[in-house]
Amino acid sequence: MIMQPGTVDLKQYPEDLSAMTRRWLIPILILLLCVFFALDIFLGSVTISPGDVIKAFTGEADLNTETLIFKFRLPKAFTAILAGIALSLSGLQMQTIFRNPMAGPYVLGVSSGAGLGVALVVLGFSSGFESGNIHSSGSWMIVSAAWAGAGSVMLLIMFISSRVRDIMTILITGMMLASGISAVVSILQYFSNETMLKAYVVWTMGSLGNLSRSQLNVLALSVGAGVLLCLFSVKMLNALLIGENYASSIGLNVRFARVVIFSSTSILAGSVTAFCGPVAFIGIAVPHIVRNLIRTSDHRLLVPGTIFTGAIIMLISDILSQLPGSENVLPVNSVTSLIGIPVVMWLILRRNKNSELF
Amino acid sequence: MNKMLPEILKIKSLLIGYASGKRSMSLLPPLDASANTGELIAIMGRNGIGKSTLLRSVAGLQKPLGGLVLINNEITEGFSRLKYAKTVGYISTDIVRVSHMRVYDLVALGRFPHTNWIGHIDSAADLIIRSAIAKAGLPGFENRLISELSDGERQRTMIARVLAQDTDIMIMDEPMAFLDISGKYGIINLMKELTSGGKTVIFSTHDFNIAVNQADKIWLVTASGIIQGAPEDLNLANAFDCLFDTGLKGFNPEEGISDNNSALFPEIQVEGEDSRIRFQTIKALQRAGFRVTDRLLTLKVKLPSGNSGWILHTDRTITECKTLYDLVRLLKS
Repeated sequence: MIMQPGTVDLKQYPEDLSAMTRRWLIPILILLLCVFFALDIFLGSVTISPGDVIKAFTGEADLNTETLIFKFRLPKAFTAILAGIALSLSGLQMQTIFRNPMAGPYVLGVSSGAGLGVALVVLGFSSGFESGNIHSSGSWMIVSAAWAGAGSVMLLIMFISSRVRDIMTILITGMMLASGISAVVSILQYFSNETMLKAYVVWTMGSLGNLSRSQLNVLALSVGAGVLLCLFSVKMLNALLIGENYASSIGLNVRFARVVIFSSTSILAGSVTAFCGPVAFIGIAVPHIVRNLIRTSDHRLLVPGTIFTGAIIMLISDILSQLPGSENVLPVNSVTSLIGIPVVMWLILRRNKNSELF
Repeated sequence: MNKMLPEILKIKSLLIGYASGKRSMSLLPPLDASANTGELIAIMGRNGIGKSTLLRSVAGLQKPLGGLVLINNEITEGFSRLKYAKTVGYISTDIVRVSHMRVYDLVALGRFPHTNWIGHIDSAADLIIRSAIAKAGLPGFENRLISELSDGERQRTMIARVLAQDTDIMIMDEPMAFLDISGKYGIINLMKELTSGGKTVIFSTHDFNIAVNQADKIWLVTASGIIQGAPEDLNLANAFDCLFDTGLKGFNPEEGISDNNSALFPEIQVEGEDSRIRFQTIKALQRAGFRVTDRLLTLKVKLPSGNSGWILHTDRTITECKTLYDLVRLLKS
């Protein structure tokens, strides 16, 4: 035998980190989640003193503060958590199933597909719709259209990636698809009336704050279903890491796995896109942040890690978009892009150095 | 051996190829072959003839266009993926590239068909995984990242994964590609250890020497079907001729070396006893285009003895060469 096993430098290869990670990861992330959730409620464009915020919860604050907290900040924080979970988790699943570090709902055009579904409902078919009513009626209709749109794009990308092995080709196809969809949406916009157009354009800017209670319920139910499907597919995701051929050879029913994972991805990305607009780069960036944080490829750790980290980063994005202390509010989409793009750039630059897929 | 080992794998009129839509294209005529428990079987054949497709079909990863694959006399058609994965392990030429994946994680995936819905590794499974890593010759490698492994270590990791999968049959597509000579023999020795432990290993290779000298049986894939048998049987039947272009001269399958010992070449006598030096000298002379005999000739080479090198006698001159390289150069000029 040529190699000398047993002479491994233990300093270089420390004993399994994951045992420690497993114990501390979840508690730490939950703690951070609570901290940023609180910050998101305490901070905002309108300055409310921490004392008043606490009073609002004990029912001693004035009506304005109470409305602000319960009608705006609390639902928005919940939406941020749900959106962060959904987008990050769909990104993680897509990166694994495509074995592509650049995969994510936004990059591969899945968000655009969901957007097309929404556009068809808002601009196209529902001319009988009360103009500008995108946020008050037809929650389920919009969300279903978004699922259908996201699912169609996923199927198309999957079909292409089963024929083309090259990652770059698939990525370019995704981008072309997104451009094609935006062309179709432009045509729809051209033929729609002014108020509907405005409703749609506002939607595309992405917002966490415009959800009604019933919409929040729909979002929560959908994200819950998507997360459950994802938890169910943890073992399948681990197998798919080594490629469909090997996954199949160790006993995975690849077709079944695809259906489950695609459903989960489409539901997660579709629902968030339907209600919050296309939120960019969270889906692609968060899984990489988590992988580098806990240094594992095991989805039994990656999935919970991604759920909490996604929620935390979305809360941070929301806090930043409020520009605490100022009157102005940034579109949340720009904030997530500014956080996500450096991560993606770093990935592309690192790819040249080593040839690993993730 | 007083008891013949049972036939574990049999392919019967297996038609391999690709079906797209209504059209199907078979690569080869119906194939028949078999493997017994504990055998090391080498699949040989020319590039592009369908060795990988055959292996994939036997591993159940690709639907055959017709015919049967039988495992332990059971027809595999209709086996669930899970049932297949408990009997047949598969290693292709695909290289797994995943960042942050450790050797342990990859080998643990071999337990996939045996673990619960979330893939929980209990202490029994942990023991199996660690012993698979050790058996594959990688003790202490558990926490190494797979992206940091050499080609040979990566191949051993893949073998450890199949060991953890605990299948009776292991199928490997060109397991020795990319490996240097010692790496190749490391893998082949590991495969032989596994077969003596009762596994059946089927691998494809282009390395003629390894296949002929190490395998218990060869499935020779030719355009007219599979010819199977012990390497020596196939040699006696001149079956390996199909691996070489008819116009290609200078290869003798039985020795696995270039064969220049033809009557067209001038004769040369080699004088000397040391068998190792003699063997290499004859090889060098053959390469230079000479036919070596023991007959007394005026053209002869004396093997080195004492302080002298090779001494070349011709009818006119006597020259001493320090190396075989010099000798060949002299003879050629």
